[in-house]
Amino acid sequence: MAKFFGVDKVVRFFQIVRDNGGIRGSLRALYRRDELKSGTLIGEDKYGNRYFENNMHFYGRNRWVEYADHVGLDYNASQVPPEWFGWLHYKTDLPPYKDPSRPNYKWMLDHTENMTGTRDAYMPYSTTRPKIEAWKPK
Amino acid sequence: MAGVLARCTRIPRRQLGLVGTFLNAQQPKTYSNAPPEGKKVGGNLSDEDRIFTNLYGRHDWRLKGSLQRGDWYKTKEILDKGADWIINEIKVSGLRGRGGAGFPSGMKWSFMNKPSDGRPKYLVVNADEGEPGTCKDREILRHDPHKLVEGCLIAGRAMGACAAYIYIRGEFYNEASNLQVAIAEAYQAGLIGKNSCGSGYDFDIFVQRGAGAYICGEETALIESIEGKQGKPRLKPPFPADVGLFGCPTTVTNVETVAVSPTICRRGGTWFASFGRPRNSGTKLYNISGHVNNPCTVEEEMSVPLKELIEKHAGGVIGGWDNLLGVIPGGSSTPIIPKTVCDEVLMDFDDLVRVQSSFGTAAVIVMNKQTDVIKAIARLISFYKHESCGQCTPCREGINWMYKIMWRFVEGNAEEHEIDMLWEISKQIELHTICALGDGAAWPVQGLIRHFRPEIESRIQKFKCVAAN
Amino acid sequence: MLRLPLIRAAGLSGCRLGATGLHTTASKLQAPPEQIEVFIDDIPVLVDPGTTVLQAAAKIGVEIPRFCYHERLAVAGNCRMCLVEIEKQIKPVAACAMPVMKGWRVKTNSDLTRKAREGVMEFLLVNHPLDCPICDQGGECDLQDQSMAFGNDRSRFVDINFSGKRAVEDKDVGPLIKTVMTRCIHCTRCIRFASEVAGVDDLGTTGRGSDMQVGTYVEKMFLSELSGNVIDLCPVGALTSKPYAFVARPWETRRTDSIDVLDAVGSNIVVSTRSGEVLRVLPRLNEEINEEWLSDKSRFACDGLKRQRLLTPMMKVDSKLQPVEWEDALVAASRALQQAPATKIAAVTGKLADAEALISLKDLFNKLGSETLATEQPFPKDGAGIDLRSSYIMNNKIAGIEEADVVVLIGTNPRFEAPLVNTRLRKSYLHREQTIALIGPEVDLTYEYEHLGDSAEVISQLKNGTHPFCATLKNAKAPLIILGAEQLGRSDGSKILAETQALAASLGKTVQAPENWKVLNVLHSNASQVAALDLGYGSSLAEIKAQNPQVLFLLGADDADIKREDFPNTFIIYLGSHGDQGACIADVVLPGAAYTEKNASYVNTEGRAQQTGTAVNPPGMARPDWKIIRALSEFIGVRLPYDTIHDVRGRLEQVAPHLVRYGDIEPANYFAQALELAKKTGSFASDPLELKQKTLDEFFMTDVVSRASPTMAKCVQAVIKQRQAQL
Repeated sequence: MAKFFGVDKVVRFFQIVRDNGGIRGSLRALYRRDELKSGTLIGEDKYGNRYFENNMHFYGRNRWVEYADHVGLDYNASQVPPEWFGWLHYKTDLPPYKDPSRPNYKWMLDHTENMTGTRDAYMPYSTTRPKIEAWKPK
Repeated sequence: MAGVLARCTRIPRRQLGLVGTFLNAQQPKTYSNAPPEGKKVGGNLSDEDRIFTNLYGRHDWRLKGSLQRGDWYKTKEILDKGADWIINEIKVSGLRGRGGAGFPSGMKWSFMNKPSDGRPKYLVVNADEGEPGTCKDREILRHDPHKLVEGCLIAGRAMGACAAYIYIRGEFYNEASNLQVAIAEAYQAGLIGKNSCGSGYDFDIFVQRGAGAYICGEETALIESIEGKQGKPRLKPPFPADVGLFGCPTTVTNVETVAVSPTICRRGGTWFASFGRPRNSGTKLYNISGHVNNPCTVEEEMSVPLKELIEKHAGGVIGGWDNLLGVIPGGSSTPIIPKTVCDEVLMDFDDLVRVQSSFGTAAVIVMNKQTDVIKAIARLISFYKHESCGQCTPCREGINWMYKIMWRFVEGNAEEHEIDMLWEISKQIELHTICALGDGAAWPVQGLIRHFRPEIESRIQKFKCVAAN
Repeated sequence: MLRLPLIRAAGLSGCRLGATGLHTTASKLQAPPEQIEVFIDDIPVLVDPGTTVLQAAAKIGVEIPRFCYHERLAVAGNCRMCLVEIEKQIKPVAACAMPVMKGWRVKTNSDLTRKAREGVMEFLLVNHPLDCPICDQGGECDLQDQSMAFGNDRSRFVDINFSGKRAVEDKDVGPLIKTVMTRCIHCTRCIRFASEVAGVDDLGTTGRGSDMQVGTYVEKMFLSELSGNVIDLCPVGALTSKPYAFVARPWETRRTDSIDVLDAVGSNIVVSTRSGEVLRVLPRLNEEINEEWLSDKSRFACDGLKRQRLLTPMMKVDSKLQPVEWEDALVAASRALQQAPATKIAAVTGKLADAEALISLKDLFNKLGSETLATEQPFPKDGAGIDLRSSYIMNNKIAGIEEADVVVLIGTNPRFEAPLVNTRLRKSYLHREQTIALIGPEVDLTYEYEHLGDSAEVISQLKNGTHPFCATLKNAKAPLIILGAEQLGRSDGSKILAETQALAASLGKTVQAPENWKVLNVLHSNASQVAALDLGYGSSLAEIKAQNPQVLFLLGADDADIKREDFPNTFIIYLGSHGDQGACIADVVLPGAAYTEKNASYVNTEGRAQQTGTAVNPPGMARPDWKIIRALSEFIGVRLPYDTIHDVRGRLEQVAPHLVRYGDIEPANYFAQALELAKKTGSFASDPLELKQKTLDEFFMTDVVSRASPTMAKCVQAVIKQRQAQL
């Protein structure tokens, strides 16, 4: 009956608002992510990104990441480390901490996000001669 | 041997006869005096009418011997008669250039007989006899050099030249030294040099040896070569009669043309004109080589039937007349003619043009049926390819291309339509070059295709059959 | 050999061989002969006798294809591409060589003509490699174009499957010309150019028939100051530019008409650029100056525009030049100029300064109260010196050289100082029986000349009539004196100038030449010199040194041998395009634009104003020179009253109107007055006349651009190597 009148939707709405930390928390979440969702916290990586799952949403929308709070609005997909990338994109259903077969060697580098467009972006040096060679005073 | 003796005993008589005609020939003769309807056929030149009486080198070639044969006889009187008289006599004689083109010599010499503009004039004698098959000038140079030296003086007088340059082929070493000796003798005897023959006319003769290039037989290339440059033909106009050797008016003539002129002057133009058909008058040195029993050089009347020439003087074709395949009638650059044509063709300028060939230098190359005619022509093209000077495009590139195709034809490794292509290529070379070497290379190929096309086709078929099996 | 000495001896200069096809711009002296009528494709055309078929056809705009024919070279007639049919003649004739006869009907497009062309084209392609995609001539190849227009549309060269094409070994002819001899079609244009125009018989053919090769006989370099022109002449890709190899296709480049400034001839050039980079320089036709040739320095030094450039302003910080912003440099420069008294500032201009920069600098200094403006190359001020133009320009024009019959060169080597003036001299020597005499060191001028001695005294002897050569001079109908500007920098420069003026005046009395014939000519080697003198740059380096200035402004002055030791306490401002001698000693360096990077006016040695075009933008922070001076004036507080190039040229017009009449020559006429003023006694210095450029290796590097050019450095090395090999 409640379903028929859409009351469950209202109930779910309030539940979501509650999960996101009340009205203020929900507004902040909306501001950061442009959507309001609630799900099960599957895990959190060492950069502070939290990964959620809610199978109520259809496949493709049922896993998501909430980026670490300290990055504010400067989040981007390359901040997801490779181990979580696999879970997020359904390559595996096992979150990294539950997966025994993950390689973990000493030499493996820490994950870094894509620095393109920032000051830290990688700039290869030019291999071509400059069209104009400047005079160098002695 | 008997013939030789006969010739020897006749010499004094001939000289007497010569004086007789000489004295009789006082009134100037013109073309109108010559018979309008001349002989129809030549041949059977009698011994007293021979000009080159030491053709075979059986007598002394030096001054003493040549004086006995009548050279340098009253040369002074000829010179004293003046240039116009000599040119008129040559015109009356109907002498045509013996180098291959057959340009009337009297007319050519008269081009030079213009009032001087301050430049000296030169006579250049072309003794660069390089045409395969031709060996007439060689006999004159080594056995009768004084005829040439005297001819130079008379021709030089006719055109008012101050000097003659004899450009002699580099390979003719002995001939050049004989000639040089003859010139030295003539100088010592006062026949040439300052006050030649006591006529008050100064005339020098220089010998220049070539370095072995066929193209230096072309008149302008020859001039370049004498000047010390690469022997490459010049553009015409200006013609050598205008701007020639060292920038001065020059006439280039063949050895034989020059060498017959003293005799013409002595015996009279009408005497010379009495031989051969009209417009093809005179006597001529014929070279018969190839598949004949007795290859030889012989002086014979113009317009002699080819068959008679071969049968009488060369001892016939090897394997008999019926074994004849074809004849190249005038040196390697003239188109080949098949046996059917050879049967009745006359050896003179006009009749050979009629049968789409050319008189050239009258160097008859006989081929019998055992000849691979395609290979023979291909070999000639090899020669022309090697001798092309490389200056102008059609000759440089075209002959090289023809060479490649011809040697494939020899094997038969070709398509039949390439015969037409070869014909077209030869037409693209012909008349498009600076000098006549391009034409001379194109004609043998054209002659081959004209008369022996089935031969080439069957060879191609045979090659295909062999390839298929 | 080329001069036909025998014909000359016989007094037959108008001989047919000499007349056919030898192109001269000045053939007005002969009376016009009666014209004859011929028909080209049934169009009647009246031509002079002796005109070739090709020229007659060109007269009505019918172009006959050709490879070997070139209007400035002797006719070879060997490519046979120009064969045309003449009505009633069996043989097609070579249009380039055949003089027309009266009433000829030439058919340039008949079946026979087209067949002949097609045949020649086919033959040319038989042994021409199909490497157009990797050939540098691609896109500007005569063979490509003409095979498109006149060739067959398909090949029947099946022999490629049997024996292939001819291959020829490439030749090494030096650092400028790349050879791919397999592509050669044996047109012999290069050979004829070398022997006729350049005057070096280095090139020729060896072998014959299909083995004929064009080459240098023995492995050697083709060393000439004009060698680059064979690249333009080559109708195929056999001779291409080595520095330009595989750089660009002609359709990719942008072409800008401009003027060469590496000598004072002012050759017209086209600058080819792509994406802001100068790729090559080609000559542009100008009958009055360079015809269609260009000297190697002008052509190949363009890679010097990309080396040793000043890209940012610089200033001495901690006694070392450091890159700074424009403002800092201008502030430092203006402060120095402001603080110095007017009598203690001076300026020197270099070779490559343009008229706009010169006028701006002069206006600036005049506003500051100084008139101490010098040109790098000194010019005597005494007498009429720089006041009357007639004493410092080539009065009779470059093309006028051809009409002279006796030429006296005084203290100059035109072959290297002005190669395109030398080609004129050589041309007249060959075709017009010109007699040439030289006072100065004996050098190879590519033609025979009478060497009158290397002492300046000879000028006086010629004037007084005590020299044996005076007999020739006296009989001259159109004598010409060419005085090298280099000699005027000597201590006795004013004496040399005065004596030469007097000699010219004495010769002028007997001249029977055409009207306006001017005997006195000065040949400069610096492109900026005439403009600077026109604008009144009158000081000299010696005066500046004596003045001991506080501030010295160098406008591209790199060749005057200015040393820091001579100016120990002077603040030196350098404005120029390249880091060279001037920038080394400067306290402030202001980066200017090179000649391809600005629209600027130059006046050549004839006094002809011409303008360069902006082919590329100035690199980095460099700016056109006049703009920098204009900005500097604002910083100093004496603002110059012009903001655009048009304003500057307006100012130029006020000072010297002829400087903006581009392409024209303003004749100078005050010879008598100049002579009057020049009457100054003095004596010649005892040392003989000396030249900076005597041999080819001294020719290649004479200014900042060519000194920065790697190609020019290679040329110098090649010349030295060749010389050592010959020893």
